Order: sequence, then C-alpha cells, then structure tokens
Amino acid sequence: MDCNTCDVTPAVVINKPEVVQVALTISDKAKEMLDSAFGDDRSHALLVGVLSGGCSGYMYDLQIVESTEQDCQELKIDGFRVLVPNASSHLLDGIEIDYVDRLMGGGFKINNPNASSSCGCGESFA
Amino acid sequence: MGIFQLDAYVLIIRGKDRLSFIDGLSTNKVDGDCSTVFTTTTAKIIDLVDVIDMGEFIAIVGHMPFKESLIQHISKRVLNQDISIVDISANNSVYLSTEDIEVDGNITKRKTWRGWLLVAPNSEPLEANMSEDDFSEYRIKNMIPHQGYEITSNVHPLACGLGDLVHESKGCYIGQEILVRMRSRGRQGKELVRLANPVEGATTTGASHSLAIVRKKRD
Repeated sequence: MDCNTCDVTPAVVINKPEVVQVALTISDKAKEMLDSAFGDDRSHALLVGVLSGGCSGYMYDLQIVESTEQDCQELKIDGFRVLVPNASSHLLDGIEIDYVDRLMGGGFKINNPNASSSCGCGESFA
Repeated sequence: MGIFQLDAYVLIIRGKDRLSFIDGLSTNKVDGDCSTVFTTTTAKIIDLVDVIDMGEFIAIVGHMPFKESLIQHISKRVLNQDISIVDISANNSVYLSTEDIEVDGNITKRKTWRGWLLVAPNSEPLEANMSEDDFSEYRIKNMIPHQGYEITSNVHPLACGLGDLVHESKGCYIGQEILVRMRSRGRQGKELVRLANPVEGATTTGASHSLAIVRKKRD
C-alpha cells in the first residue's frame, strides 16, 4: 500500500456543522432526579452530548462530570450547570431532558425536536 | 484461478477512535482486520468494506462507485472523536487473488472471506490474469456476492449472502434493530442462491450456474 503520500494528500472534507447556541429545558421530574443525584454539591455539571453510533446513527451521552476536555458551552438551568459540546450543539438545540419513572425503559429521556426517528430503546436517534 | 483487479477505493482512517468509530457504524465486530457492512437506518447496504489494520491506522477498502455515499455517511458522524480520513485511492490498485501468492513488501495482503485482498502501489502493479467472466465463475462457484451485482443499495446484508458479516452480539449500530428483528423472527425476506441455468432474474450469470436473490421460504 502506498501511504507515503498520506501526509500530503488532502484529508477528506468533514463538514463541521455550525455551532448553535443551545436552548434546552429540564422537566420537573428530571429536575427532581438531578437534585437527588447532585445533592448540595453543585460544583459538578450535567454533560449532555451526542456520540456517533447506535441503531439510528447518533446516541445520547449523559454524564455527571466535574470538567471535560470537550469544547463546550455552559448553561445554567435552575441551579444546575449543564455542559453541551459545541460539536453536537446542532443536534441538541431545543431538547427537553425528561425523566420517565417506570420499571422497564425508565430513566432520563431526551425529547428532541431535531430527531427524525429514534430506536426502540430511545437512546439513539437520526 | 488467478488475480482480479477490483474497482475499489482505499480510505485511510487515523486517530485513536478509528476502530470504535467504524465498529459503531457497521454490522461486524471491528477490532482489527475484518470485513464489515455499512447500512442505513432501514438496514439497506451503503457498502461492504474490508478493514485492514495497519497498526497506526486502518485502511478501509470498498467499491469505487459507492465511495461518495460512504464518505457522506461516515463524515457527518464525526463529532468529538479523534478521526481523520484520507483518500489514497489514486495511489493504489486493489486486487483479489483466489490463491495465497508471494508478494513484495510494499504490497499489503490480507486473507478475507472472498480470497486474498491485495493493495498495491500504482508503481508496483500486479498482473491481473482473471477476466470479468473468470471472476464471475469464481464468485458463482463460491457463492460470493459482489457490489453492483448482488450487493446494492436495494438490499440488506442478510438478503445478499452477507449474513456472516452481521455480528450477532455486538453493540448497537445503524440498521441493527431491523437486522436483529429479521433474524430473531426468521423473516429475512430474500436470500442469495446458486441455481443451474437458466435462471430468471439472475444477478450474476455463469456458463452453467448463476447467482440470484430469491424470496426465502419461511423457516
């Protein structure tokens, strides 16, 4: 394989979508659950990101973090620090973070107006 | 039989997330050399590729007419991952050998389910001694589907003989829900078969036998 030219051959253009100033909401039930997860310590933040993969192409990534190396925008919502990576901001603008209380398939859910479809488990969307 | 020159592209993918990125978007377990299939959310094929693990990077080898669709499919899913993609198709030629042959050190050789895949710099071309008809006969004999014939954007992998490249227990990937449902319910719709001529609707026609995609009888 001739890869001697790899370093000088132009990379395939990966179109980076425009960074969007994200507006998101958190439902009352989700706030309640976040409240019990964070406790009184609000130094940590809720990271709401997107990974490629999953049944529909993109997967939500929810984490409680102290900090992250990702280039993020920080939102303050009802006392919670929320971090949204700029790389996936175009996929997350307008979302609602909800919490569904049921035995099967329960937990945090994202209602996303940008998603044209999502898989059965609700973790992946297109 | 010999060596056939494939109409193929070669993309180099670098970055620490290279294997997990391809694994998350295709049907097979990708943790090194393998063949895997990129599918849409409706499980239709975008391309069948061979993944060659070169240590510091991976090369993915697919069918040239499907290149733009594949690049479009994967490039928009690079979000925060450490990934870079370079197209080196113009510098290399890709061959499939039906036998294990000795090659020069500059030629990359990998054994695949179709035969031995050879990626050679254009400066060191190999002698392709198989005609299109020879290659078709080899494929018919061994029930090997090929892009543009059996492998098209109208079919899913289970329907065109690529079921072995659909991993049964790996994590989620695009199109997985549909493929898993087809398998678990025994309803994959169509299947690749080899039949004695004459074959109506053959996808590849040989001298005595042909390949065709036909509706599968219920399991």
